[in-house]
Amino acid sequence: MGDPLVLMKDVNKHFGDLHVLQDINLGVDKGEVVIVIGPSGSGKSTLCRTINRLETFESGTITIDGRPLPEEGKALAELRADVGMVFQSFNLFAHKTILENVTLGPVKVRKMSKADADKHAIALLERVGVAHQADKYPAQLSGGQQQRVAIARSLAMNPKVMLFDEPTSALDPEMINEVLDVMVELAKEGMTMVVVTHEMGFARKAANRVVFMADGQIREQSTPEDFFTHPTSDRAKDFLGKILTH
Amino acid sequence: MKRTVVAALTAILALVMVAAPATAYDKSSPAAGLPPVLKVGTEGVYSPFSYHDPSGKLTGFDIDVMNAIGKKLGVQVQYVETPWDSMFAALGAQRFDVVANEVTFNDERNGLYDLSDPYVETTGVVVVADDNSTIKSLADLKGKKTAENLTSNWSEVAKGAGATIVGVDGMTEALANLRQGRVDALVNDKLAIQNYLATTKNPGVKVVAQTDDVSRSVLAARKGSGYLPQLNSAIAALKADGTLTSIYDKYFTAKVAAPTTWELVRNNAWPMLRATITNTIPLTIISFAIGLVIALVVGLARMSSQPVVTGLARLYISVIRGTPLLVQLFIIFYALPQLGIKINPFPAAIIAFSLNVGGYAAEIIRSAVQSLPRGQWEAASTIGMNYATTLRRVILPQAARTAVPPLSNTLISLVKDTSLASTILVVELLRQAQIAAAPTFQFFAMYGVAALYYWVICLALSAVQSRTETRLNRFVAA
Repeated sequence: MGDPLVLMKDVNKHFGDLHVLQDINLGVDKGEVVIVIGPSGSGKSTLCRTINRLETFESGTITIDGRPLPEEGKALAELRADVGMVFQSFNLFAHKTILENVTLGPVKVRKMSKADADKHAIALLERVGVAHQADKYPAQLSGGQQQRVAIARSLAMNPKVMLFDEPTSALDPEMINEVLDVMVELAKEGMTMVVVTHEMGFARKAANRVVFMADGQIREQSTPEDFFTHPTSDRAKDFLGKILTH
Repeated sequence: MKRTVVAALTAILALVMVAAPATAYDKSSPAAGLPPVLKVGTEGVYSPFSYHDPSGKLTGFDIDVMNAIGKKLGVQVQYVETPWDSMFAALGAQRFDVVANEVTFNDERNGLYDLSDPYVETTGVVVVADDNSTIKSLADLKGKKTAENLTSNWSEVAKGAGATIVGVDGMTEALANLRQGRVDALVNDKLAIQNYLATTKNPGVKVVAQTDDVSRSVLAARKGSGYLPQLNSAIAALKADGTLTSIYDKYFTAKVAAPTTWELVRNNAWPMLRATITNTIPLTIISFAIGLVIALVVGLARMSSQPVVTGLARLYISVIRGTPLLVQLFIIFYALPQLGIKINPFPAAIIAFSLNVGGYAAEIIRSAVQSLPRGQWEAASTIGMNYATTLRRVILPQAARTAVPPLSNTLISLVKDTSLASTILVVELLRQAQIAAAPTFQFFAMYGVAALYYWVICLALSAVQSRTETRLNRFVAA
């Protein structure tokens, strides 16, 4: 097996006095699905966002497919296109139709022809089940539909890895599964994924590894089965106790 | 009674042709030392010396005299209309070569400018409302309010008599203020007042006294112009051949029928519309377009992460918003020529208005961009878009929606602000209305028409605004 696709080495970051990432070391192999879990304020979203430099960091290195993360400019833009990102709040482009949301990146960044981009986009929208909404604006769709479009928008760039930052936290309960189903499909097809989520069902179904974070540190890593049944650290036991009793 | 007085005054006021030796003038040599096109500064709203007749043509005593001088000297005369209070600033700024606008000779002026021999002499008169019986002489002005041009000779005379001066734009406004009871009196040129009394049905004012000093009207040029020998010889020649006398008679003894309000509106509706189409609207559109580009650059600079760039943008916005637009116009038009930068009226107005719009709209664009969720920037960057593409494809189209209502405000203000260009020689709608109102005192009619035109433009813009808003709102859920 070669080098990990995503490799974080001794990454540190502060928000003012708060040491939000402390000596983070994490590798994600090609095709692997990693769940990042932990209490609020543990730094899990920040970790996810540093992987494509939406957040800066002070020390340490991050490499994607062997290339160190550029600090800014064209090289960073290119790298970001290889790292798909799905946000908690969808962040669809409100003034573009669903189809345009998906084709904007391929046409403006990859310089793909409009016709090819449309064809590819329709196929992706069919895959996430919202092709019939292609001509609507984001505000006309439900949250679950919008999040599936956001996934299609990321996929349109043919990313090497997909980051999901709490993708179902802003959704009504009945819409959560439609999004998780799409993610499970993606995982089965071999997409490399880093997912910040509390969805245990998804973790059990699709994840290769669970990373538990607390107070800016990675406290333990194991398979989903091991983690949920035999957590080793007290913080993990305490956290699981809180979320599983409901 | 009044007729007799006027006739008597006219008789007393013989046109004095000061003996200037008509020796240097030689018909065979064409105007040595003069430019082939002599640019002449004049008010255009100082009836009967310099004003527009009902057909819109510039005419008047000084204009006829100047035309006759030009003909004698074989030079073409081109007029540049300028408000009196800016006249000498504009002469200094080389907007024109000579002033023909009843410039009165005095020692101070003589030290600063080349002044010709007089082409007419007159005295000042004290004018009061018909029902005023307390002011009977110049000395009675002590402690009273008089309306005067601040830079005119009459202002000095009134001040010398102890009057409090209320500054006005010209004689037309001075008379209007007097008739409306806002001032007690005015001191002005006898010829001008005489013409007014002769051509107005119910003047509402009377002449009660005459000043002692004789005022000599002369042409003014920049010091060291070298024009004086030519100008003086022409004036002497016109005096000798009777041309000056006949021009004088035309304006100060003949009766001129004043047009009715309706005729005036009919005669001026088109010239005012033309001024709107050729000046007011182009000024607005061009300045707004350039201003938006400036605003975009400054607004983005203001949000930059570079402290120097942000600081410059802040400074620009602060200066533009912290100084009056009129001052900005004057700096560009009257002050820059002193640094050797001379810009014509229309482009000068465009520059001032564009910079002004830029300052205000920059803040509108900044607030519109900052009102968008951060996630829009982040989402664009995660699909590999750079700053420029994100701005163009994602941020600005959405910011436009929030920016349109405040930007429409700026645009509508700009339409009306273009009226300030009248002060820097742009004949736009307001200036055209002033030109029409000046010889007739029909302020209500002319300014009413101007107000109507401005209002119609703004109504049209409001309609465009609501259509634009509807279009930009299409992606927002009902």
